Amino acid sequence: MSQGDTNSAAVPHAAEDVQGDDRWLSQHNRFVLDCKDKEPDVLFVGDSMVQLMQQYEIWRELFSPLHALNFGIGGDTTRHVLWRLQNGELENIKPKVIVLWIGTNNHENSAEEVAGGVEAIINLINVLQPQAKIIVVGLLPRGEKPNPLREKNSRVNQLLRSWLPRLPGVQLLDVDFGFVHSDGTISRNDMFDFLHLTAIGYAKVCRPLHELIMQLLEETPEEKQVTLA
Amino acid sequence: MCDGNQNPAAVPTPVLDVQGDGRWMSMHNHFVSSSKDKEPEIVFIGDSNVQLLHQFEIWRELFSPLHALNFGGLGEGTQHVLWRMENGELKHIKPKIIVLWVGTFNQGHTAEQISGGIQAIVRCMQQRQPQAKVVVLGLLPRGKNPNPLRDRNKQVNELLNEAMPSMPNAMFLDVDPGFVHSDGTINHNDMYDYLHLSRQGYARICQPLHKTLLQLLEGRGTPTQQ
Ligand SMILES: [Ca+2]
Repeated sequence: MSQGDTNSAAVPHAAEDVQGDDRWLSQHNRFVLDCKDKEPDVLFVGDSMVQLMQQYEIWRELFSPLHALNFGIGGDTTRHVLWRLQNGELENIKPKVIVLWIGTNNHENSAEEVAGGVEAIINLINVLQPQAKIIVVGLLPRGEKPNPLREKNSRVNQLLRSWLPRLPGVQLLDVDFGFVHSDGTISRNDMFDFLHLTAIGYAKVCRPLHELIMQLLEETPEEKQVTLA
Repeated sequence: MCDGNQNPAAVPTPVLDVQGDGRWMSMHNHFVSSSKDKEPEIVFIGDSNVQLLHQFEIWRELFSPLHALNFGGLGEGTQHVLWRMENGELKHIKPKIIVLWVGTFNQGHTAEQISGGIQAIVRCMQQRQPQAKVVVLGLLPRGKNPNPLRDRNKQVNELLNEAMPSMPNAMFLDVDPGFVHSDGTINHNDMYDYLHLSRQGYARICQPLHKTLLQLLEGRGTPTQQ
Protein backbone atom coordinates (compact mmCIF):
# COMPACT_ATOMS: atom_id res chain seq x y z
CA MET A 1 0.00 0.00 0.00
CA SER A 2 1.15 3.50 -0.69
CA GLN A 3 0.44 6.45 1.55
CA GLY A 4 -0.20 9.48 -0.63
CA ASP A 5 1.22 11.90 1.89
CA THR A 6 4.60 10.23 2.31
CA ASN A 7 5.23 9.15 -1.28
CA SER A 8 6.58 12.04 -3.38
CA ALA A 9 5.65 10.12 -6.57
CA ALA A 10 2.01 10.47 -5.54
CA VAL A 11 2.10 14.20 -4.81
CA PRO A 12 0.86 16.36 -7.73
CA HIS A 13 3.61 18.66 -8.89
CA ALA A 14 3.94 21.03 -11.85
CA ALA A 15 7.24 20.66 -13.68
CA GLU A 16 9.70 23.47 -13.04
CA ASP A 17 10.68 25.43 -16.13
CA VAL A 18 14.37 24.68 -15.63
CA GLN A 19 15.26 25.21 -19.29
CA GLY A 20 13.50 28.56 -19.46
CA ASP A 21 11.21 28.27 -22.48
CA ASP A 22 8.07 27.28 -20.59
CA ARG A 23 7.38 24.36 -22.94
CA TRP A 24 5.86 22.10 -20.29
CA LEU A 25 3.09 24.52 -19.36
CA SER A 26 2.49 25.39 -23.03
CA GLN A 27 1.86 21.73 -23.75
CA HIS A 28 -0.41 21.31 -20.74
CA ASN A 29 -2.43 24.37 -21.72
CA ARG A 30 -2.82 23.02 -25.24
CA PHE A 31 -4.15 19.73 -23.87
CA VAL A 32 -6.68 21.57 -21.69
CA LEU A 33 -7.86 23.47 -24.77
CA ASP A 34 -8.08 20.20 -26.72
CA CYS A 35 -10.52 18.93 -24.09
CA LYS A 36 -12.79 21.88 -24.77
CA ASP A 37 -13.27 21.31 -28.46
CA LYS A 38 -12.68 17.61 -28.98
CA GLU A 39 -14.60 14.53 -27.97
CA PRO A 40 -12.09 11.72 -27.66
CA ASP A 41 -13.21 8.13 -27.13
CA VAL A 42 -9.68 7.24 -26.16
CA LEU A 43 -7.18 9.30 -24.21
CA PHE A 44 -3.46 8.55 -23.94
CA VAL A 45 -1.66 10.07 -20.95
CA GLY A 46 2.00 9.80 -20.01
CA ASP A 47 5.57 10.74 -20.82
CA SER A 48 7.66 10.74 -24.01
CA MET A 49 6.82 7.07 -24.66
CA VAL A 50 3.23 8.25 -25.21
CA GLN A 51 4.18 11.53 -26.89
CA LEU A 52 6.56 10.05 -29.44
CA MET A 53 3.99 7.43 -30.47
CA GLN A 54 1.98 10.21 -32.08
CA GLN A 55 4.89 11.11 -34.33
CA TYR A 56 4.92 7.75 -36.05
CA GLU A 57 2.74 6.46 -38.85
CA ILE A 58 1.28 3.80 -36.57
CA TRP A 59 -0.58 6.45 -34.57
CA ARG A 60 -2.39 7.62 -37.70
CA GLU A 61 -3.04 4.03 -38.69
CA LEU A 62 -4.35 2.64 -35.39
CA PHE A 63 -5.32 5.39 -33.01
CA SER A 64 -6.36 8.50 -34.97
CA PRO A 65 -9.38 6.59 -36.35
CA LEU A 66 -10.50 5.93 -32.74
CA HIS A 67 -10.69 9.67 -32.01
CA ALA A 68 -7.76 9.39 -29.66
CA LEU A 69 -6.07 12.32 -27.97
CA ASN A 70 -2.43 12.19 -26.94
CA PHE A 71 -1.46 13.95 -23.72
CA GLY A 72 2.15 12.80 -23.51
CA ILE A 73 4.92 15.13 -22.31
CA GLY A 74 8.58 14.14 -22.54
CA GLY A 75 10.34 13.63 -19.23
CA ASP A 76 7.17 13.55 -17.13
CA THR A 77 6.95 11.56 -13.93
CA THR A 78 3.88 10.28 -12.07
CA ARG A 79 3.64 13.49 -10.05
CA HIS A 80 3.60 15.67 -13.17
CA VAL A 81 0.83 13.59 -14.72
CA LEU A 82 -1.11 13.81 -11.45
CA TRP A 83 -0.84 17.59 -11.53
CA ARG A 84 -1.89 17.80 -15.16
CA LEU A 85 -4.92 15.57 -14.64
CA GLN A 86 -5.95 17.57 -11.58
CA ASN A 87 -5.65 20.80 -13.52
CA GLY A 88 -7.92 20.52 -16.51
CA GLU A 89 -6.78 17.64 -18.69
CA LEU A 90 -9.78 15.53 -17.63
CA GLU A 91 -12.35 18.31 -17.90
CA ASN A 92 -14.97 18.67 -20.65
CA ILE A 93 -14.26 15.20 -22.04
CA LYS A 94 -15.74 11.78 -21.42
CA PRO A 95 -13.40 9.17 -22.88
CA LYS A 96 -14.34 5.51 -22.80
CA VAL A 97 -10.79 4.31 -22.47
CA ILE A 98 -7.76 5.99 -20.88
CA VAL A 99 -4.31 4.60 -21.61
CA LEU A 100 -1.74 5.44 -18.95
CA TRP A 101 1.97 4.92 -19.57
CA ILE A 102 4.21 6.58 -17.01
CA GLY A 103 6.96 5.90 -14.49
CA THR A 104 10.23 5.23 -16.30
CA ASN A 105 11.35 8.83 -15.63
CA ASN A 106 10.71 8.67 -11.86
CA HIS A 107 14.43 8.62 -11.11
CA GLU A 108 14.09 9.87 -7.56
CA ASN A 109 11.62 7.21 -6.54
CA SER A 110 11.79 3.56 -5.54
CA ALA A 111 9.76 0.96 -7.43
CA GLU A 112 7.21 0.95 -4.59
CA GLU A 113 6.85 4.72 -4.83
CA VAL A 114 6.48 4.64 -8.62
CA ALA A 115 3.76 2.00 -8.40
CA GLY A 116 2.12 4.09 -5.67
CA GLY A 117 2.24 7.10 -7.97
CA VAL A 118 0.57 5.14 -10.76
CA GLU A 119 -2.06 3.97 -8.30
CA ALA A 120 -2.72 7.57 -7.23
CA ILE A 121 -3.27 8.53 -10.87
CA ILE A 122 -5.70 5.63 -11.31
CA ASN A 123 -7.61 6.72 -8.22
CA LEU A 124 -7.83 10.26 -9.54
CA ILE A 125 -9.07 9.07 -12.95
CA ASN A 126 -11.68 6.91 -11.25
CA VAL A 127 -12.99 9.97 -9.40
CA LEU A 128 -12.97 12.38 -12.36
CA GLN A 129 -13.82 9.92 -15.16
CA PRO A 130 -15.66 7.04 -13.45
CA GLN A 131 -17.00 5.68 -16.74
CA ALA A 132 -13.56 5.31 -18.29
CA LYS A 133 -11.79 1.99 -18.45
CA ILE A 134 -8.10 2.31 -17.73
CA ILE A 135 -5.25 0.50 -19.40
CA VAL A 136 -1.96 0.82 -17.56
CA VAL A 137 0.88 0.01 -19.94
CA GLY A 138 3.73 -1.81 -18.23
CA LEU A 139 7.13 -0.15 -18.09
CA LEU A 140 9.66 -1.34 -20.65
CA PRO A 141 13.21 -2.45 -19.98
CA ARG A 142 15.82 0.18 -20.88
CA GLY A 143 19.55 0.54 -21.42
CA GLU A 144 21.59 -1.55 -23.83
CA LYS A 145 22.77 -3.92 -21.11
CA PRO A 146 21.33 -5.15 -17.81
CA ASN A 147 21.21 -2.28 -15.33
CA PRO A 148 19.43 -1.22 -12.14
CA LEU A 149 16.72 0.73 -14.00
CA ARG A 150 15.63 -2.41 -15.83
CA GLU A 151 15.26 -4.20 -12.51
CA LYS A 152 13.35 -1.26 -11.05
CA ASN A 153 10.94 -1.05 -13.98
CA SER A 154 10.36 -4.78 -13.80
CA ARG A 155 9.65 -4.48 -10.06
CA VAL A 156 7.16 -1.65 -10.75
CA ASN A 157 5.32 -3.95 -13.16
CA GLN A 158 5.34 -6.74 -10.59
CA LEU A 159 3.82 -4.47 -7.94
CA LEU A 160 1.18 -3.15 -10.35
CA ARG A 161 0.30 -6.70 -11.33
CA SER A 162 -0.47 -7.51 -7.72
CA TRP A 163 -2.15 -4.20 -6.80
CA LEU A 164 -4.30 -3.40 -9.80
CA PRO A 165 -6.85 -6.22 -9.45
CA ARG A 166 -8.04 -4.42 -6.29
CA LEU A 167 -8.97 -1.31 -8.27
CA PRO A 168 -12.13 -1.02 -10.37
CA GLY A 169 -12.05 -0.77 -14.17
CA VAL A 170 -8.30 -1.00 -14.63
CA GLN A 171 -5.94 -3.52 -16.13
CA LEU A 172 -2.23 -3.82 -16.75
CA LEU A 173 -1.00 -4.54 -20.25
CA ASP A 174 2.51 -5.94 -20.44
CA VAL A 175 3.90 -4.85 -23.81
CA ASP A 176 7.42 -6.20 -23.43
CA PHE A 177 7.49 -8.80 -26.15
CA GLY A 178 11.09 -9.83 -25.94
CA PHE A 179 12.83 -6.47 -26.20
CA VAL A 180 15.70 -8.01 -24.23
CA HIS A 181 17.59 -10.53 -26.32
CA SER A 182 19.01 -13.79 -24.97
CA ASP A 183 22.42 -12.14 -24.47
CA GLY A 184 20.83 -9.50 -22.24
CA THR A 185 21.03 -6.67 -24.75
CA ILE A 186 18.35 -4.41 -26.22
CA SER A 187 18.67 -3.58 -29.92
CA ARG A 188 18.74 -0.10 -31.41
CA ASN A 189 16.34 -1.47 -34.03
CA ASP A 190 13.70 -1.48 -31.29
CA MET A 191 14.87 1.41 -29.08
CA PHE A 192 16.98 3.94 -30.95
CA ASP A 193 18.53 5.37 -27.79
CA PHE A 194 17.94 2.29 -25.64
CA LEU A 195 14.85 3.95 -24.16
CA HIS A 196 12.64 5.42 -26.88
CA LEU A 197 11.00 3.18 -29.44
CA THR A 198 11.62 3.07 -33.16
CA ALA A 199 8.80 2.48 -35.65
CA ILE A 200 9.56 -1.24 -35.32
CA GLY A 201 9.46 -1.05 -31.54
CA TYR A 202 6.16 0.85 -31.55
CA ALA A 203 4.62 -1.70 -33.91
CA LYS A 204 5.34 -4.42 -31.34
CA VAL A 205 3.73 -2.38 -28.58
CA CYS A 206 0.83 -0.76 -30.43
CA ARG A 207 -0.80 -3.76 -32.09
CA PRO A 208 -1.71 -5.58 -28.85
CA LEU A 209 -2.58 -2.24 -27.26
CA HIS A 210 -4.93 -1.46 -30.13
CA GLU A 211 -6.50 -4.89 -29.82
CA LEU A 212 -7.23 -4.37 -26.13
CA ILE A 213 -8.63 -0.87 -26.73
CA MET A 214 -10.97 -2.23 -29.42
CA GLN A 215 -12.12 -4.95 -27.07
CA LEU A 216 -12.87 -2.41 -24.32
CA LEU A 217 -14.67 -0.09 -26.76
CA GLU A 218 -16.86 -2.98 -27.87
CA GLU A 219 -17.73 -3.69 -24.26
CA THR A 220 -18.94 -0.08 -24.03
CA PRO A 221 -21.96 -0.35 -26.32
CA GLU A 222 -24.25 2.70 -26.00
CA GLU A 223 -23.19 5.51 -28.39
CA LYS A 224 -20.82 3.29 -30.29
CA GLN A 225 -23.69 1.13 -31.56
CA VAL A 226 -25.62 4.22 -32.62
CA THR A 227 -22.75 5.73 -34.59
CA LEU A 228 -22.05 2.44 -36.31
CA ALA A 229 -25.72 1.93 -37.30
CA MET B 1 44.53 17.81 -30.38
CA CYS B 2 41.33 19.66 -29.78
CA ASP B 3 42.26 21.76 -26.81
CA GLY B 4 39.73 23.01 -24.33
CA ASN B 5 39.83 26.32 -22.52
CA GLN B 6 37.85 28.04 -19.83
CA ASN B 7 34.67 27.83 -21.86
CA PRO B 8 32.68 24.92 -20.38
CA ALA B 9 30.89 24.49 -23.72
CA ALA B 10 34.26 23.82 -25.38
CA VAL B 11 35.70 21.36 -22.83
CA PRO B 12 35.22 17.75 -23.97
CA THR B 13 32.96 16.18 -21.35
CA PRO B 14 31.30 12.77 -21.22
CA VAL B 15 27.64 12.77 -20.17
CA LEU B 16 27.34 11.58 -16.58
CA ASP B 17 25.18 8.50 -16.32
CA VAL B 18 22.91 10.09 -13.74
CA GLN B 19 19.93 7.93 -14.67
CA GLY B 20 21.91 4.75 -14.30
CA ASP B 21 21.31 2.81 -17.51
CA GLY B 22 24.45 3.90 -19.40
CA ARG B 23 22.53 4.82 -22.56
CA TRP B 24 24.71 7.70 -23.71
CA MET B 25 27.92 5.68 -23.61
CA SER B 26 26.16 2.73 -25.26
CA MET B 27 25.15 4.95 -28.15
CA HIS B 28 28.64 6.39 -28.47
CA ASN B 29 30.12 2.88 -28.57
CA HIS B 30 27.61 1.90 -31.25
CA PHE B 31 28.52 4.91 -33.36
CA VAL B 32 32.21 4.01 -33.13
CA SER B 33 31.75 0.34 -33.94
CA SER B 34 29.11 0.86 -36.63
CA SER B 35 31.43 3.27 -38.45
CA LYS B 36 34.10 0.59 -38.87
CA ASP B 37 32.44 -1.27 -41.70
CA LYS B 38 30.71 1.68 -43.36
CA GLU B 39 31.91 4.19 -45.88
CA PRO B 40 29.58 7.13 -45.46
CA GLU B 41 29.71 10.13 -47.78
CA ILE B 42 27.89 12.20 -45.19
CA VAL B 43 27.79 12.00 -41.40
CA PHE B 44 25.19 13.78 -39.29
CA ILE B 45 26.41 14.60 -35.79
CA GLY B 46 24.58 16.29 -32.95
CA ASP B 47 21.90 15.98 -30.30
CA SER B 48 18.43 14.41 -30.20
CA ASN B 49 17.24 16.64 -33.05
CA VAL B 50 19.71 14.77 -35.26
CA GLN B 51 18.82 11.37 -33.79
CA LEU B 52 15.07 11.88 -34.22
CA LEU B 53 15.55 12.81 -37.87
CA HIS B 54 16.83 9.27 -38.31
CA GLN B 55 13.49 7.90 -37.09
CA PHE B 56 11.40 9.62 -39.74
CA GLU B 57 10.63 8.45 -43.25
CA ILE B 58 12.29 11.56 -44.68
CA TRP B 59 15.69 10.22 -43.60
CA ARG B 60 15.24 7.12 -45.77
CA GLU B 61 13.84 9.25 -48.55
CA LEU B 62 16.48 12.00 -48.70
CA PHE B 63 19.59 11.01 -46.78
CA SER B 64 19.95 7.23 -46.86
CA PRO B 65 20.44 7.36 -50.65
CA LEU B 66 23.37 9.74 -50.07
CA HIS B 67 25.09 7.11 -47.88
CA ALA B 68 24.59 9.12 -44.73
CA LEU B 69 25.30 7.95 -41.19
CA ASN B 70 23.50 9.39 -38.18
CA PHE B 71 25.44 10.00 -34.97
CA GLY B 72 22.69 11.93 -33.22
CA GLY B 73 22.76 11.50 -29.46
CA LEU B 74 20.51 12.48 -26.60
CA GLY B 75 19.64 15.94 -25.26
CA GLU B 76 23.30 16.85 -25.04
CA GLY B 77 25.43 19.96 -25.34
CA THR B 78 28.46 20.97 -27.42
CA GLN B 79 30.91 19.78 -24.74
CA HIS B 80 29.46 16.26 -24.97
CA VAL B 81 29.54 16.10 -28.76
CA LEU B 82 33.13 17.37 -28.60
CA TRP B 83 34.01 14.46 -26.32
CA ARG B 84 32.46 11.98 -28.74
CA MET B 85 34.44 13.47 -31.63
CA GLU B 86 37.67 13.11 -29.67
CA ASN B 87 36.91 9.55 -28.67
CA GLY B 88 36.57 7.53 -31.80
CA GLU B 89 33.52 8.61 -33.77
CA LEU B 90 35.68 10.21 -36.46
CA LYS B 91 38.32 7.50 -36.44
CA HIS B 92 37.18 4.94 -39.01
CA ILE B 93 35.41 7.08 -41.58
CA LYS B 94 36.31 9.57 -44.27
CA PRO B 95 33.14 11.43 -45.18
CA LYS B 96 32.92 14.19 -47.75
CA ILE B 97 30.50 16.17 -45.61
CA ILE B 98 29.82 16.42 -41.90
CA VAL B 99 26.54 18.00 -40.82
CA LEU B 100 26.77 19.39 -37.28
CA TRP B 101 23.68 20.34 -35.31
CA VAL B 102 24.09 20.96 -31.60
CA GLY B 103 23.78 23.74 -29.04
CA THR B 104 20.14 24.14 -28.08
CA PHE B 105 20.61 21.78 -25.09
CA ASN B 106 23.60 23.67 -23.62
CA GLN B 107 22.14 24.19 -20.17
CA GLY B 108 23.20 27.45 -18.52
CA HIS B 109 25.65 28.52 -21.21
CA THR B 110 25.74 31.91 -22.91
CA ALA B 111 25.44 32.39 -26.66
CA GLU B 112 29.17 33.21 -26.82
CA GLN B 113 30.05 30.01 -24.99
CA ILE B 114 27.83 27.87 -27.22
CA SER B 115 29.19 29.47 -30.36
CA GLY B 116 32.70 28.85 -29.00
CA GLY B 117 31.79 25.22 -28.29
CA ILE B 118 30.52 24.71 -31.83
CA GLN B 119 33.66 26.28 -33.27
CA ALA B 120 35.78 23.97 -31.10
CA ILE B 121 33.90 20.98 -32.58
CA VAL B 122 34.43 22.32 -36.11
CA ARG B 123 38.18 22.74 -35.47
CA CYS B 124 38.33 19.21 -34.10
CA MET B 125 36.57 17.92 -37.22
CA GLN B 126 38.91 19.85 -39.50
CA GLN B 127 41.95 18.37 -37.80
CA ARG B 128 40.65 14.83 -37.94
CA GLN B 129 38.78 15.00 -41.24
CA PRO B 130 40.56 17.67 -43.31
CA GLN B 131 38.88 16.50 -46.53
CA ALA B 132 35.37 16.98 -45.11
CA LYS B 133 33.21 20.02 -45.57
CA VAL B 134 31.48 20.89 -42.31
CA VAL B 135 27.93 22.21 -42.53
CA VAL B 136 26.91 23.82 -39.25
CA LEU B 137 23.16 24.05 -38.93
CA GLY B 138 21.67 27.05 -37.19
CA LEU B 139 19.82 26.55 -33.93
CA LEU B 140 16.06 26.69 -34.21
CA PRO B 141 13.75 28.86 -32.17
CA ARG B 142 12.01 26.97 -29.36
CA GLY B 143 9.17 27.37 -26.87
CA LYS B 144 5.60 28.15 -27.87
CA ASN B 145 5.98 31.82 -26.99
CA PRO B 146 8.93 34.25 -27.09
CA ASN B 147 11.43 33.37 -24.38
CA PRO B 148 15.11 33.89 -23.45
CA LEU B 149 16.25 30.63 -25.08
CA ARG B 150 14.93 31.80 -28.43
CA ASP B 151 16.95 34.99 -28.07
CA ARG B 152 20.01 32.97 -27.05
CA ASN B 153 19.73 30.57 -30.00
CA LYS B 154 19.29 33.49 -32.37
CA GLN B 155 22.40 35.13 -30.98
CA VAL B 156 24.35 31.87 -31.38
CA ASN B 157 23.35 31.86 -35.05
CA GLU B 158 24.52 35.44 -35.51
CA LEU B 159 27.87 34.63 -33.94
CA LEU B 160 28.29 31.52 -36.09
CA ASN B 161 27.28 33.37 -39.22
CA GLU B 162 30.11 35.81 -38.51
CA ALA B 163 32.68 33.20 -37.49
CA MET B 164 32.17 30.49 -40.10
CA PRO B 165 33.49 32.36 -43.18
CA SER B 166 36.94 32.53 -41.57
CA MET B 167 36.98 28.81 -40.79
CA PRO B 168 38.35 26.70 -43.65
CA ASN B 169 35.97 24.25 -45.28
CA ALA B 170 33.08 25.15 -43.01
CA MET B 171 29.77 26.82 -43.68
CA PHE B 172 26.80 27.99 -41.68
CA LEU B 173 23.31 27.05 -42.83
CA ASP B 174 20.21 28.56 -41.27
CA VAL B 175 17.43 26.06 -41.95
CA ASP B 176 14.64 27.89 -40.11
CA PRO B 177 11.88 28.23 -42.71
CA GLY B 178 10.02 30.64 -40.44
CA PHE B 179 8.79 28.46 -37.60
CA VAL B 180 7.80 31.53 -35.58
CA HIS B 181 4.47 32.91 -36.75
CA SER B 182 3.63 36.60 -36.94
CA ASP B 183 1.97 36.43 -33.51
CA GLY B 184 5.23 35.16 -32.00
CA THR B 185 4.09 31.56 -31.50
CA ILE B 186 5.49 28.27 -32.75
CA ASN B 187 2.95 25.68 -33.85
CA HIS B 188 3.00 22.17 -32.39
CA ASN B 189 2.39 20.81 -35.88
CA ASP B 190 5.98 21.88 -36.62
CA MET B 191 7.49 21.17 -33.19
CA TYR B 192 5.37 18.73 -31.26
CA ASP B 193 6.81 19.74 -27.89
CA TYR B 194 7.95 23.20 -29.02
CA LEU B 195 11.52 21.91 -29.28
CA HIS B 196 11.64 18.67 -31.28
CA LEU B 197 10.45 18.62 -34.86
CA SER B 198 7.43 16.74 -36.11
CA ARG B 199 7.35 14.98 -39.46
CA GLN B 200 6.04 18.21 -40.97
CA GLY B 201 8.75 20.25 -39.27
CA TYR B 202 11.47 17.95 -40.56
CA ALA B 203 10.03 18.14 -44.06
CA ARG B 204 10.36 21.92 -43.93
CA ILE B 205 14.04 21.93 -42.96
CA CYS B 206 15.22 18.84 -44.82
CA GLN B 207 14.38 19.97 -48.34
CA PRO B 208 16.77 22.98 -48.28
CA LEU B 209 19.36 20.95 -46.37
CA HIS B 210 19.19 18.15 -48.93
CA LYS B 211 19.61 20.65 -51.74
CA THR B 212 22.73 22.13 -50.10
CA LEU B 213 24.23 18.67 -49.54
CA LEU B 214 23.69 17.72 -53.19
CA GLN B 215 25.38 20.93 -54.29
CA LEU B 216 28.35 20.25 -52.03
CA LEU B 217 28.64 16.66 -53.25
CA GLU B 218 28.66 17.93 -56.81
CA GLY B 219 31.36 20.43 -55.90
CA ARG B 220 29.13 23.44 -56.29
CA GLY B 221 28.43 25.99 -53.60
CA THR B 222 31.63 24.95 -51.88
CA PRO B 223 32.18 26.71 -48.59
CA THR B 224 35.23 28.88 -48.01
CA GLN B 225 38.25 27.18 -49.51
CA GLN B 226 41.35 26.74 -47.43
CA1 LIG C 1 -15.20 18.21 -25.09
